[in-house]
This record gives sequence, structure tokens and C-alpha cells, in this order.
Amino acid sequence: MIRKILAFSIALIFIFPIFFLITSSFKNNIDLFSIPPKLFLFDIDFSAYERVFGFSKLLKFDPSYGELYLTSRILDSLIVGIGSSSLTLIIGIYAGYYISRANFKYKNFLIMSILSARMMPLISIAIPLYFVYEKINLLDTYVGLILIHTFINLPLAVLLLKSFFDEVPKQIDENAFIDGASKIKILHKLIIPCAKGGIAVTFILSIIFSWTEFICALMIGQMKIKTIPIQASIMKTIPSWDMMAAFTTISIIPVFIMILAVRKHFVRGLTLGTVKE
Amino acid sequence: MAAQKSYSLPSFMNSDSSLPWLLPLITMLIVFAIIPFFYNIYLSFHEFVPAKRALLFVGWDNWIRLFTDGVFWGSLKVSLYYTFMCLLIQLVLGMGIALLIDSDDPGFGIIRSILTLTLVIPPAIAGMIFLIMEDANYGLIPWLLKSVGLIGPEDTILADPTLALWGVMIVDIWQWTPFMVLILVAGLRSLPSEPFESAVIDGARPFQVFRRLTLPMLHKVIAVAILIRGIDLWRMVDYVFVLTSGGPGTATYTLSLYSWQRFTFVQWGYGATISLFSLIVILIVGNAFIHFAKVKW
Repeated sequence: MIRKILAFSIALIFIFPIFFLITSSFKNNIDLFSIPPKLFLFDIDFSAYERVFGFSKLLKFDPSYGELYLTSRILDSLIVGIGSSSLTLIIGIYAGYYISRANFKYKNFLIMSILSARMMPLISIAIPLYFVYEKINLLDTYVGLILIHTFINLPLAVLLLKSFFDEVPKQIDENAFIDGASKIKILHKLIIPCAKGGIAVTFILSIIFSWTEFICALMIGQMKIKTIPIQASIMKTIPSWDMMAAFTTISIIPVFIMILAVRKHFVRGLTLGTVKE
Repeated sequence: MAAQKSYSLPSFMNSDSSLPWLLPLITMLIVFAIIPFFYNIYLSFHEFVPAKRALLFVGWDNWIRLFTDGVFWGSLKVSLYYTFMCLLIQLVLGMGIALLIDSDDPGFGIIRSILTLTLVIPPAIAGMIFLIMEDANYGLIPWLLKSVGLIGPEDTILADPTLALWGVMIVDIWQWTPFMVLILVAGLRSLPSEPFESAVIDGARPFQVFRRLTLPMLHKVIAVAILIRGIDLWRMVDYVFVLTSGGPGTATYTLSLYSWQRFTFVQWGYGATISLFSLIVILIVGNAFIHFAKVKW
């Protein structure tokens, strides 16, 4: 019993900042800046949400305070996230399946290269890429950001999918091969349906890691494209805590829903397929 | 029969057609890892000269500047300190919490679900939450510390040269301790129960069981957790960017942030040199760790 109480109080400490953020988005400026801070007893106020998304202008025709129209920022994050995850998945499925099944000469070298790609400080990719993108006009485009996020997620996707494909019995491949099916057909018709769950998990984790990525999104996106973390860091300069809290609350709810859907495989994703839960 | 006998799995997969399967992956690795790596080397021997508005060859200047630059050494120290301290604290705290919630009870399952939540918050946004909570005038944490008397009434966290780094580290520890907890719990849950039962029968004390049984059996899981967390700590830039932007002064510059900051000051060559240094360090240390800790994929 003591153990349970202790465990729950630790969980409360970890969830407290999230609680603090969400409640801050509903506080008015008086409660937000009160000392001692008001945690529970405050007047609920939705004006921050109205201002962040520009609703108040539509509803009240009142241009008296700053409006931000941040819906397009969330759209940017969604386009980049879904685009890069789809591309990651396509590349990852074929590579992951091949690495899972085949024994080739440079297999260990390839896996070490994939891990080394995971190690790269993102700034050391972003600086050279900035100049390359500038030359080929990919700076500040969705395609440019989708490509770099695909690269960032590839080590995770390839190694995680490999570990899911490893769990599909090799007997299936062998039998189908004896029956005369081609390798590509075996993958499409037999292996992918068997590993559906793992593929869905990889897709969702890729979206999450694209959603949270910062430094590449900062350098490749310039004026037109700003993903959510970039917009949040810009809002630091606007001294309006309630708007910042409202925007960030909205932006973390989709990831919370996604992660609770794949919670069982999350540890496996974090450890690139090595630790299973 | 003969055809079946000659068939074996490796040979059919080992056919000469490996390229189509791996080509997209290898292309991505070349375009986004190999080319930037060599471009970085190229940049580290060049620098943008404002007077001529061009990138000119400067020989070893950037590297000489790197090793004589006090701010660089400071940021290297910050990166090392940040990586080791966070890793140590997260590992110890994570192990403690993992041992606490390692149980079949469904209540602890809920706790594990709660702990996943911090991990998916974009680090920049986690930084923003703590920016509010650590605000010098209206923040919750300074208010708490002041009322307990740990810091004086005029003290701040993020503007204080000695406390600022801890103000950043607390965010990392908050967000990523659950990472260690979840991985270690998964490891603990997968251990067989027989050795532990017989150890208890033999009268081993809990600490002995932990030292002699749990730790060695978790060796692989711990190694993977340290590797991945270490990589991410070394390249961390989001928190300092949001919370302190490297300040006060240069007290919280990490290598990545310093590199980015030089880049924005149009010292492209020097910025690239710093990032290349950081890259080489992590490639050597990371691959050596994988080799010596015998982490297998």
C-alpha cells in the first residue's frame, strides 16, 4: 500500500507540469501572474484560445488585441509529419524486411551505419543541408523538410520494422517460396499482413518524432513553414503566457492520443526494437 | 525432391538482387549523412568573408580558432557536464522508480501510461512550460525555493550563471527520467523469476539480490538505454534554445547551440567546424560503446 501511494505521488510529480500547462491556458492574466501561483481556484477563461486561433475576430468583430491564426502551424506539422512518416515507412519496410531475412556480407556494417546515422547531432546535418537546399531551391518547402525528417526517422523505422519482421516465422517465407511466389509477392501478400500492428506502430512513432523535432525544422523552414515547436519557441518573445499555453495545449493533445494508442510498443520504439515489453 | 533439398533460405535471399531492397535506404544515408559529412569538412576549411561576400578558403584557421576559443571549451564542458549528470541522475532515479513500479498490479500499469506522456511532448514545448514555471517574478519553482529558503528573495534561476544550467537540466530530468523508467521496467518484467526465488530462499539480502542478480541480468537493457539517452543528451539543443538561448553570458552554451549561433552570425565555416567536432566525438564514443558494451541489433 505504501508502495502504491509512493508510486502515485511520483506519477503526480511527473504529470504536474502538464497539468500546470493546461490550467494556465484557461487562466486570465490576473490569476496567471499571482503570487503564490493559483493552481486550482481560478476563473476559467477561454479568451486565449479565441485569440490564438483568431476566433474572436470572427465571432465578436473585436480587433482590440493581438490575434495569431495558428491553425496553419498545426497544418504544417501535420503535412510534414504524415508525409515524412509515409516515406519512412515505404523505405523502411523493404530495407527492414531484407535485413531481417537475408545474410549478406555487409549486414553488420549496414546496421552500424544506420546506428551511426542515429547518432549524428542534427545541427551537423542541418548546416550543410542548408547550403545544399539553397542551391536546389528546397529551402522552406514541405518536400525539403519531409526529406530530412524521413532521414531522421529512418534508423528507428528500419531497425524497429526489422525486429517486427523477425517475429514473423521464416517458415511462411519458405513455404511460399517453394510454392513459387516471388520475394516481393511474399512480402506484400504474406509478411505485411502478419506485421500490420508493427507497421502501424512505426508509422505513429515516426509522426511523433517528426512532430517533436526542432533544429532541422528551424533551419530548413524559414518564413512559410513553421512546425509547432518552432512556433512555440517564437512565442517566447510575445509576453502572453495564456496564448502560449493555449497553443501548446492544443498541439500536444494529438500526440497524447497517438501515444496512448501504441503504448504497449512504445518502449520497443524508443530502444530501436531491442527491448520488448 | 532434389530441388527441395538444394533449397535453403539464405541462398534465396542471398541472390544477387539485394540492391533494389536496400537502394532507397542507402541513397538516403548517402544524401543526408555522407554528403553533409564531407560538406562539413569542406566548410570547416572555408569561411564567409563579409568584405568579399564570399566563402573563401582559409586553411586550418577554423580548427586553430576552435582549439583557442574559450567559449568553445566552455560549451564543450557544458555539453559533457550536461550529458553525464543528466545520464547519471536519470539512470539512478529511473532505476529506483522502475523497481518501485515493477509489479503485476494493474494500478502500476496506469502509472506507466502516465509516464509515457512526458516523453512525447516536443522538447521545445517542455522548455516553454518550464520557462513559465521558472520565471523569475511569477514562476512556481522560484517561489517554492524562496519560501523554503533555498535561494534568496532576489535570486533567479535562469539568469544566474551557476543555477541556469540546472534550470535547464531539471527539464531534461523531468521529461526523460520516464524514458529510463519505462525501459528498465520492461527489462525487469522480462526477467525469469526462478533465480530470485532461490536467492530469497538462500537468505540473500535485497541489496545483494540487486547487485548480484538484477544488475547483471539487466546489463543489455541498461546499455541500450544509456546509449540512446547519451546520444540525445549530447546533441540536445531545444531546451537551451528556448530557456536561456545560451545565457546568461555563455554559461549554458552546448556544442550544438554554439554551432547554431555561430551559423546565424554568418560564421558558416566556424559553425560547421564546431558541429563536425561534436559529430566526430559522438561517432567515436558511440561506436566504441556499442563495441565494448556488446550491444546487439
